[in-house]
Amino acid sequence: MNEQVLYKHYMETVFNYFRRFIELSREEFDAITPYFEIRKFDKKTKVLKIGETDNYFNIIMKGIARKYLMVKKKEVTIQLSTEGHMIHSELSFNLQQPSDCIIETIEPVTFLSMSYDSIQLIYHKFPKTEKLGRMIITEMFIKKDQRDFKQLNRTTRERFLEYMHNHPDMLQRVPQKYLASYLNIKPETFSRLKHLLRPRKTVPAKDS
Amino acid sequence: MQNLYEYINRFTHVTEQEFEQITRVLETVHCDKKHILTHRGQIEKYLYIIRKGLVRKFFYKNKEEMITQLAKEDDLVCSSVSFLSQQPSEYIVETLEPCSLLAISYDNLQRLYATGYHMERMGRLITLDWLLQKEAWEHERLQHDPRERFIKFMKENGDFVQRVQQKYLASYLNMKPETFSRYKHLLRN
Repeated sequence: MNEQVLYKHYMETVFNYFRRFIELSREEFDAITPYFEIRKFDKKTKVLKIGETDNYFNIIMKGIARKYLMVKKKEVTIQLSTEGHMIHSELSFNLQQPSDCIIETIEPVTFLSMSYDSIQLIYHKFPKTEKLGRMIITEMFIKKDQRDFKQLNRTTRERFLEYMHNHPDMLQRVPQKYLASYLNIKPETFSRLKHLLRPRKTVPAKDS
Repeated sequence: MQNLYEYINRFTHVTEQEFEQITRVLETVHCDKKHILTHRGQIEKYLYIIRKGLVRKFFYKNKEEMITQLAKEDDLVCSSVSFLSQQPSEYIVETLEPCSLLAISYDNLQRLYATGYHMERMGRLITLDWLLQKEAWEHERLQHDPRERFIKFMKENGDFVQRVQQKYLASYLNMKPETFSRYKHLLRN
């Protein structure tokens, strides 16, 4: 897909996403679109480093990115995001304070981004976006809580199977160590659990 | 009410008239200790503000209680995901002390939001604050070992030690009760 077509497609997706939450005319949406920026990064690029203030809220148009913390020199992946997902440092972006986490691309990534200042401007210029913002934040809160709940309430095996079932392409696209870290599973255990994904051997039917 | 006024104004300025609109729909709830405010499977109807008392939120992992929130005076508490999504609650909300609470119903809150952008803004910023607290707590849990979490929590919430049973504090900090007991010597000096 060429760039222009992809951009149009993504704007349409965003328009429909917004309209899940509020009534929004095409004209109203068109007034907001100039505030979006397209940002491209190569693979394995740190989009946000520790200590920097996150200036952008990003929606992924293409590619995969992850967010991680450094815990005693070890990386702990706390978010893995692909096309259509949002990624930013919630704390650094919203409080405009130095980030304690890193956002890094895994594949080459194209973001549809909006800066902190642009978002504040939009809230003031188009007050009906207050509700849109509240609804999007509510959805983020619910998703985050559900992930926390699963981390505490599900067994390792259940977490593995559920994630792989819902995200079948990730095993091909993301290094295993990141997936294991995100699911809070030891890399050795993760390797062992992979046999659960192989299709069961079927006994060939006998000719009769 | 003064505290509530200050709480809301941390996020956005509300006029006296707007604040009166809010207080008009608040309901006062008094209940004994060990009173279940929200059962598992029930849709959370209320968001509570604690005027006096202690409340915990927890779920059952098999038969073990896992506490995810301990709330005291001036804190907000409810089964938040159930309240926001109006889906059955996975969590149980229970008082630990006799409580005096202010409650706002989901329907009344939606009506308040509908009165104007100013109320919407208040709702957006308070919901964002919940999200950021959740995020900060997750980072904290991952970045600090149990010993560090214990010390930090006790420094910031010293009065909980007197008011809350140790096994609950241990559960909230996601550590074994024995580990919690062992760490107590760290508080002595």
